[in-house]
Amino acid sequence: MGKYLVRRVLQLVVVAFVISVLTFLLVHLLPGDPTTVILGPNDTAANRAILLKQLGLNYPLWRQYLTWLGAVFQGNLGTSYLNHESVTHILATGAPVDFELILISQVIAFAIAIPLALVTSRKPNKALDNVATTSTFGLLALPPFVVAPILVAVFAVGLGWFPATGYTPFTQNPAQNLHEMILPSLAITAGSIAVYYRLLRSDLISTLQQDFITMARSKGLSSPRIMWRHAFRPSSFSLLAAAGINIGALIAGTFVVELLFVLPGIGYALVQAVEQRDYLVVQGIALVVAIAYVLLQFIIDFIFTIVDPRVVRE
Amino acid sequence: MSESHEIDRRTFLSQGAKVGGALVLAGAAGSALAACGSSSSGSSTTVPSSGSAPGVGTGTPVKGGSLTVGTVAEIDGFYPPSNHWDTNGFLYANTLYDPLCAIAADGSIQPYLCESVTPNATYDTWTMTLRPNIKFSDGSDLTAAVVVSNSTELKASLLTGQALVQVTSVTATDPMTVVYQLEAPNPGFAAGLTTQVGYIVGQSMIDSVKAGNKTPTPVGTGPFVFQSWQPNDHFTATRNPNYWRAGLPYLDQITFRPIPDTIQRESTLKTGGVDMIESTDPDTINRFKGQSGYQLVDSTTGVLGEPTVAFIMLNTVVAPTNDITIRTALAQSLDQATVQKIFGGGLTKPISGLFLPGSEYYSDSGYPAYNPAAAKALVAKYTAQHGQPKLTLLTITDPRLAQVVQIIQQMWNQVGFDVTISQIEQANLINDFIAGEFQAATSYQFGTIDPDLNYVWWSTTTAKPVGSIALNFARNSDPVIEQAMLTGRHTTDQATRVQAYQTVNQQLAKDLPYLWLQQYLFSEVATSRVQNFANPTLPSGAKQYAFDEGIFVPTQIWLSK
Repeated sequence: MGKYLVRRVLQLVVVAFVISVLTFLLVHLLPGDPTTVILGPNDTAANRAILLKQLGLNYPLWRQYLTWLGAVFQGNLGTSYLNHESVTHILATGAPVDFELILISQVIAFAIAIPLALVTSRKPNKALDNVATTSTFGLLALPPFVVAPILVAVFAVGLGWFPATGYTPFTQNPAQNLHEMILPSLAITAGSIAVYYRLLRSDLISTLQQDFITMARSKGLSSPRIMWRHAFRPSSFSLLAAAGINIGALIAGTFVVELLFVLPGIGYALVQAVEQRDYLVVQGIALVVAIAYVLLQFIIDFIFTIVDPRVVRE
Repeated sequence: MSESHEIDRRTFLSQGAKVGGALVLAGAAGSALAACGSSSSGSSTTVPSSGSAPGVGTGTPVKGGSLTVGTVAEIDGFYPPSNHWDTNGFLYANTLYDPLCAIAADGSIQPYLCESVTPNATYDTWTMTLRPNIKFSDGSDLTAAVVVSNSTELKASLLTGQALVQVTSVTATDPMTVVYQLEAPNPGFAAGLTTQVGYIVGQSMIDSVKAGNKTPTPVGTGPFVFQSWQPNDHFTATRNPNYWRAGLPYLDQITFRPIPDTIQRESTLKTGGVDMIESTDPDTINRFKGQSGYQLVDSTTGVLGEPTVAFIMLNTVVAPTNDITIRTALAQSLDQATVQKIFGGGLTKPISGLFLPGSEYYSDSGYPAYNPAAAKALVAKYTAQHGQPKLTLLTITDPRLAQVVQIIQQMWNQVGFDVTISQIEQANLINDFIAGEFQAATSYQFGTIDPDLNYVWWSTTTAKPVGSIALNFARNSDPVIEQAMLTGRHTTDQATRVQAYQTVNQQLAKDLPYLWLQQYLFSEVATSRVQNFANPTLPSGAKQYAFDEGIFVPTQIWLSK
C-alpha cells in the first residue's frame, strides 16, 4: 500500500507540473496581445512598455513562469485587470457554488439511479426495465444546455415553482439557497442518472447470477437483504469509478449551467474572463480546476484501494 | 450564453470611453448652450405628472421597498477616471453619483450638481457655480476644490484624459465656483459634463485610489449609497438618507443583477427574480409589447439626437473596398429590408443615414437605393479591370448576426463578389478596427445626444494608415466632412449646425464608409409595480431626458403597493 501511494503521489506531482506549464503557456499562445486590450486606443509605445513591465511580460518566458509559479505557491494567483478582484477571491467565492451544485446533482443522481437499478435488475428486460433503460437513453442524449431552458420554461416560467435565475448563499438563507439550486442541479444531473443507472444495473444483473447469491437465496434471505447486503457492494465498483470520472464532466457541466442560471460560480467567472480576455483570471482558474480534478482522481483511486484491495496488488 | 450583439455595443462604448475626450468635450448643440447658461437655483422634487404611459408613475409616490434590475452586462468598476462605463456603467453611476449637468427632455443641457455653468463671450472660459449644502456619502461637502480634484484625476487618466484635452486649467476661484479655461472656443463644452467626466466622486475616494487602492469604495452625492458589489452577481445600494434633493429617493434599496442571456433575463422577470430588465434585443420588445402586467419603454418611438445604428463598416484604404465603385456596388446590393426582418424583429424602418425622420437634422442623404442590377454592372466593370473582387466580412460569434452576414454574403455573391465570412472574438474585432486590419465588418455606433460628439470617428485628423492606431476606423479621410464637423462645432447658429450635419450625412452617403442596416434598439421592461422609471425630473423641476440609450435614473422610481 505504501509503495503504491508513493508511486501515485509522484505521478501526481509530475501531472501537476505539466498542468502548470500548459496552463501558463496556454494563455501565452492565445491570439492577440493583452496589452492591446487593456490600453485600447491609448496603446502607445510608451504606455505599452510601462504595462509590459507592470505585467512582467518583458521578461523571458522561463522567468515569467518561475515568477508566476512562485506567486502561485504563495497563494497569489494574480488579479483581474478589469475589476482588480484577486483570482483567489474569485475562486473562494465561486467554489462553494460549484461544490454545492455538484453535490446536490450527485445526491439526486444516486437517489434516483441506485433504487431504480436495484429494482429493474431483479427482472431484466421486463416492462419496467425497458422503460427505465429507454428513458435513461434519452437522458444521456440531453446536454445541460438543452435541459436547462426546458426546466426553466416548465418549472419556473410555466408552473412558477422555482426561480429562473438567482443565487443566495447557503449560509445566508439555506431554504432559499436550496430552492434556487434545484433547477440548476437537475440540469446537470440528467446525464449522471443515466450513466449510474445503466452501469449499476448491468453489474447487478451480473452479480445476481453469481453462486454466492444463489447460496443466499437458498438460505431463505429476503430479496431486499440480498440486493443491499450481498449484491450491491460488489456491483458498486464501476459506479464509484464512473462517479470519479463523471466529476470532471460535471465541472464542465456546471460552467454551462452557471452561465444559464447566472450562478456566481467559478465557471461563470471563467467564461466572463475568457470573453473579456482577462488572462490572469483565466490562467488562475484553469490551473486550480485542473489541479483539483487531478487531486479528485487521486482521492478516488485511494478510495478504490480500500474498497477493493486487489487494485494495489495489480 | 451571453449575447455577443449586446456585448458588442458594450465593448464599443468601453472603447469609446477610452477616447472619451473627443467624444465628451468636443462640443454640443447651440440649444444646449442657451439652456445651460441659464441658472436654476434651488432643488425641486416635483412629482412627475401622473398618467398611464409606461414608466410614468401614477398616484402618490410610495416610500420604501427594494427594486431589483436585470442588466445586460457587468461593469469593471465605479471610478470615473479609470473604469469603462457603458449603459450599465451609467446606470450604476446614476445610482451612486450625480453629474454636473444632465440632458433635459428637450435635448438641452441643464445644470444638475451645479447651479449654473456659463461661458464668457468667446466661449473659451466657462464658470460653474455649484449648488450649496450638498454632501457626499462620507459626510464631506461638495466644493469647488473637490470638482477641481476630480478634473485633475480625469485629465491625468489614460482613459479619460482626452476628454479634457481642451481644458488647459481648472481652478477653484472660491469655495463654490469652478472656472474651466479652454485652449479654444467651444460653445458646447457643457455637454461633456453630462458624460463620464461630469460625474463627481468624493475626495476620500480619490485619495484612496492615490494610496494604491484599485477597488475603492464609491463615495458620491447620489440618491443611493454603495452597499455591496460582487462582480457578475450583483451590485446593491441603499437609500442615501442625506440626499440633497429633498424627499428623494423613494426606494430603500436598489440591486442590479447582470444576466447576459436575454431569454434568461426575461424569464427571471416573469418569475419575479427581478422587477425590471433592460434589453438590446428587438425581440424583447415584440415579446412584451401589449402584455398585461408589464410596462415597456423602448427607443422605437423617439430618440433625441442621433440613434445608435447598426452598419457594415468598409475600410476605405485597403483593396477592394478602397474603390468607391466597389463600395457603391456593396451598398446597392445590400437589401436593408431583408436584413431588418431578421435583425430588427420587424420593428425598425429603412434608414439612409445617421438621423431618423422627425429629427431636425434629417434630410435625404442620397444614400444608394437597393439596386442589384446596377451593382452587378459595377462589379462586372471592376472585374474586367482587376479581376473578381474578393473580400472578407468580419463579424462576431453571435448566432443572429451569423444569420445576417450569411444573407449579406449571399446578396453580395449574387452580384459577382467573392465574399468570405470570418467570425472572430469581440476584442479582436475592436483591435482590428483600431489597426485598420479589415475590409468589411459588422458594427454599431454613433448614438449621441449631439452629432458633434461623433467628431472623433469621422475626422481627417483621426484617420491613419493601416497598422497605425486610428479612431476613424473606416479611415475615410474627407475634408468636406471635416469642415462640416468643425462648422457644426463652432457655430452657435442652429440653422448652420443643421446644415453642417446634413452635409456630413450626405457626404457619408457619397463616400460610403458605412452601409446602414438599421437603428439599434434599446428597451426596458418592468412589472406594473415599478413606477416612474421613465419620468425623471431635473433639480429645477423640468423634465429630464428619460431614456438615453437604455439608461434610466433611479432617483424618482417607486414601487406601488
